[in-house]
Amino acid sequence: MSVANTLIQKAPFFGRMFQMEESDLNPINSWPALMAMTSFVWLTIAAVLGLSMPAIQLFDLGSHWYYQNITLHGAAMAFPFAFQLMVAMSLHRAGACLGKRADGILVALTYILMNVGALLLTVAVLMGFHVTYTVMFPLPVVGVMTGQWSMSALVIGFTGIAFVLLSMILTYPIKILRMSFFEKKHDELQLAERSLKDPGMIGMIMGVLVLLITGLPLLATASPILLHLYGIIPAEWIAWAVKPVVFEFIFYIFAHNLMEAMAIMIVGAVYATLPLCTADGSRRLYSDKIANLALWILLVTSITSFFHHFFTMYPALPSTFAYHGNIMSFATAIGGALTIFTILATIWKHGLVATPAVFLILGGFVMYILDGVTAIVISNVAWNFKLHGTVWAGGHAMSVLIAISMIWMGMLYYHYPLMTNRTINDSTARKCIKYFFLSFIGLFYTFLVAGAAGMPRRNAAWEGDWLIYGAMLGVFGTILIYSFFLYFSSLRNSKALDF
Amino acid sequence: MTDFIYSSWGALVITLLMQIPFLIIFFSVVNKKAFVDNVAADTPAEKYTSTRYLWIAVVLISFFVINFASVKYMPTFVEANAELSNVKDVDISATSWKFDMSERSFKVGDTVRFLAKSEDTMHSFALYHPDGGLLFTMMLMPGLETASALVHTFDKPGVYMVRCLEYCGVNHHGMRSVITVAEK
Ligand code: HEM
Ligand SMILES: [Cu+2]
Repeated sequence: MSVANTLIQKAPFFGRMFQMEESDLNPINSWPALMAMTSFVWLTIAAVLGLSMPAIQLFDLGSHWYYQNITLHGAAMAFPFAFQLMVAMSLHRAGACLGKRADGILVALTYILMNVGALLLTVAVLMGFHVTYTVMFPLPVVGVMTGQWSMSALVIGFTGIAFVLLSMILTYPIKILRMSFFEKKHDELQLAERSLKDPGMIGMIMGVLVLLITGLPLLATASPILLHLYGIIPAEWIAWAVKPVVFEFIFYIFAHNLMEAMAIMIVGAVYATLPLCTADGSRRLYSDKIANLALWILLVTSITSFFHHFFTMYPALPSTFAYHGNIMSFATAIGGALTIFTILATIWKHGLVATPAVFLILGGFVMYILDGVTAIVISNVAWNFKLHGTVWAGGHAMSVLIAISMIWMGMLYYHYPLMTNRTINDSTARKCIKYFFLSFIGLFYTFLVAGAAGMPRRNAAWEGDWLIYGAMLGVFGTILIYSFFLYFSSLRNSKALDF
Repeated sequence: MTDFIYSSWGALVITLLMQIPFLIIFFSVVNKKAFVDNVAADTPAEKYTSTRYLWIAVVLISFFVINFASVKYMPTFVEANAELSNVKDVDISATSWKFDMSERSFKVGDTVRFLAKSEDTMHSFALYHPDGGLLFTMMLMPGLETASALVHTFDKPGVYMVRCLEYCGVNHHGMRSVITVAEK
């Protein structure tokens, strides 16, 4: 039995979601299933941490716990949950659509680097390395100098982050590129043939290229810093890399485009799956051309819109870059507008078969668009000075990840019979979707209203009205956790397909 | 009017104005095509094309208007239009976890240029109105020659909170200060 299958067999609670027989399809199923399962383990831990944050504030349990848990929550949700789930589903799609094996050394490395890296970072955070998932460079180093955490916490934390980055920037993108362009095709694995011209495939390739290209400068900057921390290279060699302005810009060029890559990838996945759920069985989008145009607009405009992270540095960020970032951010929304049109025109033209998979995907798409509006609004220079640093921004980061993950969870419903030979529990799935959407709306608008009221993000001392917003996050967060539980149940209580 | 729109609550209103029509249209289309009559529509091709042009035109025009009207509130514009001879420069130095300010007491009507730098890690200088709302935040990146700078005219007396809004370590929430503004 393959390693991946054995690990799934042995996993308590979560394993039952992905139980599968040995079959000829293992090369496209096993690793994606293991990755999806592992991402749900991280989701469970991170969700409890999410709920702990309002609790810590309301019961005054101490700022130490707040900063520890926000770092763990943000990092776990963004990387080993949301990103890993995306890796799982996109490997499965690439495998089944192109007839390529989704296993091998690069896949195993991606899995190990992501999860061991996230574990190392967790250890560092528990040792006091409270830097949030955006690192806030040069805080990791300043924190050691001011005695906030130890040098060993810094070294372990940076090692963990380096592992995670290697999987996101190198092993995963290279694997998808290899599957798309090079590896040997196996006809028996090709379950749903697609060409690389398909919008669904183009979105995937664009996404991994963005990760690879915008990530390489970050690897080039972070690696010497790490080598210095290990005592391998002298301090003079890294003086250029540790300049805050150098590191921060390179970091955000990647971090911003990481989110955009995940978004482009998800739009591609929606384009690929929606036509399969149309009522007239035509299996077509309203227009492939417009779908592709939207992807290209998203790709081109998103790259330089990262300047919106730095508007409030004025005038150290020259205004010309600020205006450029402002305009490019709104231009991404033109790609969004074309996507909305394509989705609605497809549904209108071909009708819709209302399965839980479709509703989860469309529900996630709605969230993605709602969140996108808040993203462009805060990307206007004038509004940015009033919202940057409030929970409006934090809520946007969280909401886009929830939206993207919800779409992948819908994709998993769609792929599930293929992966496991079982069908999900339909009624539990429908119930899950209702609670999922409801709690999302609650969390999302609470963050927005609190942000408009000036509530600071990442602040361990909520006061006055902020406590009320915090309590609401607790209530809606509890419902969201319940919907995750229902989601897991809908997979755990799946039924064998009969032929 | 535009003063309200380009406030943080105005941002929320504009956000809702974009989201609510989207929600209504999206859910009615999905509801119709998934439950009411989930069959292929025989809408003529030109109808799709004209709807598409209309939709993109609406989006482009509203984006243009929103951004064009906001220029007045951008820092370059505010600075260029302040009577520079009357502007008081206030130097701020931020370190974990305090603000050193060259001056902390002002009068209503004073136009102040806040020039702020960080000495150690990322911080921000964020000014809160006595009514609790955020007036602006300035990100302070350490190691830069140029100070972050913003011009502000005080319109109400009272105690203005200053907070750091860029996470800066274990006592980030304690990084606060006050500015007092007296009647004219
Ligand atoms: C399960 C219920 C959840 C609750 C109660 C919750 C609560 C919170 C809270 C209170 C914050 C901190 C706000 C601040 O102080 O700035 C936060 C931040 C965040 N959340 Fe969640 N959350 C939940 C689920 C999720 C999910 C499902 C995701 C992603 C898929 C997610 C991703 C994030 C991210 C990325 C941040 C930003 C962290 C940072 O600013 O450093 N959360 N969440
Ligand atoms: Cu600070």
